[in-house]
Amino acid sequence: MKRLSLFTICLIILVGSWLVLRFVIGGVISVPIPASVIAMYMGLILIAVLVHISVEDSLFREFLRPIHETLVDDKRRVRRRVIAVLIPFFLLGYTYSIIAQRANPPGSPRDAHPSPPLELTYKDEVIGTMQDVVNPFRHYEKDDPEAFKAHVENGRRVYHQNCFPCHGDHLDGQGHFAPYLQPLPANFQDPGIIPNFQESFFFWRIAKGGPGLPAAGTPWDSAMPIWEDYLTKDEIWDVILFLSDYTGYQPRTFGEAH
Amino acid sequence: MKNRNVVSLLMLVFGILCVLTLAHAQNAPEASEKGKEVYENSCAHCHGTEGRGDGSAAENLLPKPRDFTRGLYKIRSTESGQLPTDQDLFDIITEGMPGSSMPGWETSLSADDRWEVVAYIKTFYDGFKESETSPRVISLEDKIPYSEESVEIGKGLYVDLGCVECHGNVGRGDGTSAPTLTDEWGFQTWPANLTQGWNYRGGADTEDIFKRFIGGLAGSPMPAFEGDSFLHFGLTAEESTRLSELENKDEMTAAEEEASEQFYEKMDAAVDVALNRAEGMELSAAEQQTYNNAMKVVYEKSWHLANYVKSLSPEKRPESAIGNNVLRSQYVQGALPAMDDAAWETLQSGYFPLVGQIVIEPRQFNPTIDSVNVKSFYNDKETAFLFTWDDRTNTVGDETDEATGKTLEDALAIQFPVKVPQGPTAPKPYFLWGGRLPVYLWHWKASAPEQVTELTAKGINNAEVQEAQGELHVQSAYTNGQYKLWVKRSLKTDDKKDLQLEPGVFVPIAFSAWDGANGDIDTKRVMTSWYTFVLEPVPSSRRFVYPPLIAILSLGLLFGLRAVVQRRNSEEVKNM
Amino acid sequence: MKTYLLASLTVFLACCYVGGAFAADSGSGEMEMLVFPKAYKAKAVNNGGTISGVVTFEGDVPEMKVLEITKDQAICGATDKYDESLVVGEGNALKNTIVYLIDISAGKDFDKSTKLEIDQKDCKFSPHVQIVPLGVRVTMLNNDRVNHNVHIFSSINTPVNKQQTKNRKKMPLKAVKKAEGPVSVKCDIHGWMSAWIAYVPHPYFAVTNEKGEFTLEDVPAGDYKLGYWHEACGTNNKAPVAVTVAAGGTVTQDFTLKLK
Repeated sequence: MKRLSLFTICLIILVGSWLVLRFVIGGVISVPIPASVIAMYMGLILIAVLVHISVEDSLFREFLRPIHETLVDDKRRVRRRVIAVLIPFFLLGYTYSIIAQRANPPGSPRDAHPSPPLELTYKDEVIGTMQDVVNPFRHYEKDDPEAFKAHVENGRRVYHQNCFPCHGDHLDGQGHFAPYLQPLPANFQDPGIIPNFQESFFFWRIAKGGPGLPAAGTPWDSAMPIWEDYLTKDEIWDVILFLSDYTGYQPRTFGEAH
Repeated sequence: MKNRNVVSLLMLVFGILCVLTLAHAQNAPEASEKGKEVYENSCAHCHGTEGRGDGSAAENLLPKPRDFTRGLYKIRSTESGQLPTDQDLFDIITEGMPGSSMPGWETSLSADDRWEVVAYIKTFYDGFKESETSPRVISLEDKIPYSEESVEIGKGLYVDLGCVECHGNVGRGDGTSAPTLTDEWGFQTWPANLTQGWNYRGGADTEDIFKRFIGGLAGSPMPAFEGDSFLHFGLTAEESTRLSELENKDEMTAAEEEASEQFYEKMDAAVDVALNRAEGMELSAAEQQTYNNAMKVVYEKSWHLANYVKSLSPEKRPESAIGNNVLRSQYVQGALPAMDDAAWETLQSGYFPLVGQIVIEPRQFNPTIDSVNVKSFYNDKETAFLFTWDDRTNTVGDETDEATGKTLEDALAIQFPVKVPQGPTAPKPYFLWGGRLPVYLWHWKASAPEQVTELTAKGINNAEVQEAQGELHVQSAYTNGQYKLWVKRSLKTDDKKDLQLEPGVFVPIAFSAWDGANGDIDTKRVMTSWYTFVLEPVPSSRRFVYPPLIAILSLGLLFGLRAVVQRRNSEEVKNM
Repeated sequence: MKTYLLASLTVFLACCYVGGAFAADSGSGEMEMLVFPKAYKAKAVNNGGTISGVVTFEGDVPEMKVLEITKDQAICGATDKYDESLVVGEGNALKNTIVYLIDISAGKDFDKSTKLEIDQKDCKFSPHVQIVPLGVRVTMLNNDRVNHNVHIFSSINTPVNKQQTKNRKKMPLKAVKKAEGPVSVKCDIHGWMSAWIAYVPHPYFAVTNEKGEFTLEDVPAGDYKLGYWHEACGTNNKAPVAVTVAAGGTVTQDFTLKLK
């Protein structure tokens, strides 16, 4: 069997890597990888290949040989003509598709977890500073498990009477109203949500809803209601207990929420 | 002899497979503590700890969560009056029920947990314990493949069997009986909109439709169309066609009278056999043959009907306009098409799914309007929109809301910002009819179908009718469970409170809709959050200039490269 | 050998598939129902007694509500339809009350010669209350030339929901095996249509006529509890009336009912 030329091997490596990224890792193993990320990975691989072939002169020449041959060698006339037709045609189609592409609206940059205000309020009543306020029923977890359970159960009721159409039966943000909301409802099963914030942060987000977000959170899009209009303070604290009890995640207890 | 060996071997294998299938279909474990635990953690908030469908979330839900204590299950693979198989229960838990609040649990509960729940749910109804035999499963063997002819036959049956009474002429769930339907528990229930297969509770495969039709939806008003109650049970397809002809005549001749009598006698005999069988009597071979023949026709016709129903809905829910899909208004030269112009058919609809407004009281947890479809054209001066949406009832303001005493009616509102936000970080008005930043609204009501009111709003309860009206041209219609609304406006107006339109500018757009018959009023409505609308600019002519230029350039480069290499090669040769 | 194997396999399969009626007593305690004896034995009754009487209504007689006819006006709307949950005639006579013996364990057999029919004429069920013996088929009539669907809300027996298309003049229904009722009968297509069926294990049931009259004949001599059921007035399950029937004798027992 004829040995493959270095050029062909490089070509195979590049195409193969793309296939693996796009279909094996981004399909069989995991969820699809965004095109921009794939482009980045491919850039890295390309650089690695280029470094490899340009370390030694001989290697580089070996790499260039098929290109040279194609360009000038009389034996490669057919290949040359095919390429002379293919490349301009490809570029013709590609530029056309880019120019004819319709403009898309600008995406909106949005901070999903913007900084909370310094003070936590319920309606107009000041509860305390965001950093110091703790869930008043949290201590029952150690002191009085029965009472704790009652609060969790009440939180469960409140959740299912108000929150579950969007945040879902499983608290995974996949309620039956969720698919058509933008931004998507929070997924409490995501390990990056509950453990990263203090309970006061959750109180703030629940009490003030979408309209209470600062500018960085693009308040005009979130459909999260202003729950202080419907729920009592205790109900909000109870529902927070339920969120962490059901998912098994403990909210942060000290330090500032980032 | 050899042949017979092969046949008996095949039969043996087939038999074993049947037994295995049966064994597999009934493999729910005995109810355990684990099942109870999973049920109470994941199901009880809707279905109640006692399985009565009265969990804390139930009050806000329609359709209501199932009451498990009656043993009535809508989605079954079994005949009418039979309990579901364990597999049926498992499948519903796994896949959920589209169009209701029952989610699929495939990703959030392990298969073992789901089986445990199946076993536990069965403990709520003693009938599962008492029945010693497996439920009779509907046979899907003689499926008739989808074809134009089959759909045509099914279409006739759809009328003859009375499906139109509830599901309406073209299947939008707008039949004349639709507004008065209640389920076994007395709760209002709506017939399925058959043009929205993605909302079918038990799935939209032809087999699913067939099973729902044959087995009925226990507990709902949907009857089971199997056996002796079927149209012309006991007659062949040809005889049935002939009898239908006779039955539809205003007057029959004596001979026809006699012919139809004979048909009726044949039917009566077959019905008698079917009832004997249902009551558990032993059938003679001849009777069994009569029964089998009759059922064969029933099943055949049912497949035709299932094929017809299948033809009514697109295969999938249309792609929602969320994300980068934008409602694009297409440029035309000259006059914009009127509402019934065929030109609209050439455009693809923007599909905007609607969700209940659950932010501000009164809230709507149980929407009946699935979505609104929108198309748009524009020319140099004006733009025209065509909105279509399905609503089972045409409520025009002759009913009043019991709670508020206000008039209930169907309506649609289209929302734009008054000023288009400049740049990606510029704030849009609050999506619920604005707030600090105002929105500009077109409000159409079914009681004044030729009129759209322009509003300015700074909040859902803070809308004002604009002083300057009459800039909008309106046409509308309600047919077969669907509203059509056509609105035309100048791109530019003199009113400062109006949105001014310009090609190529991306404009936020949102919708609200009201179904009066579902109690929608004021804030109780269905709605969308912001989407994007644009008057699509006429494509630039550059697209015919640059690409060829680049192609020629690349060709030149290629030849240039070749020339360079050639020259270098010859130099190398010279130098050697 | 193979034949035996096949045969036994077939038998086994057949066993697996044998359909059986299942049912359960879900014990709907909330609804007021008839009370049935645990067992009933049919025997010849000689020189039986008769219980008869009149059921009257006590209280302000509300005007009968005219039902809203929402569709098929040409046929269904030809005549006015009334809500028949409380039909009070002259002298406050209460129609459609079931009067029956609660605790009879043996007596005459059903008269199976009479045909049981419920008509759906002009989109109205008649009679409004129908007694149906166990094991007997009731035939639904439809001469309306509109589609009806017969929806019987059984919970002990299997519920029935069958379309009776416009040309189907007669549709017999499967006989049931378990005493139950009264159960509601509806037509979902015409939401105002309403009737009741009681599936009963013995023949000592009567429904009062326009004059409020009922008669139970051929009752074997003995002591009995007499019960009633009315759609709007409920039952006397908690305090049934005791009657003693002498051989060949006649007992008169009237009832006065109030809205529940």
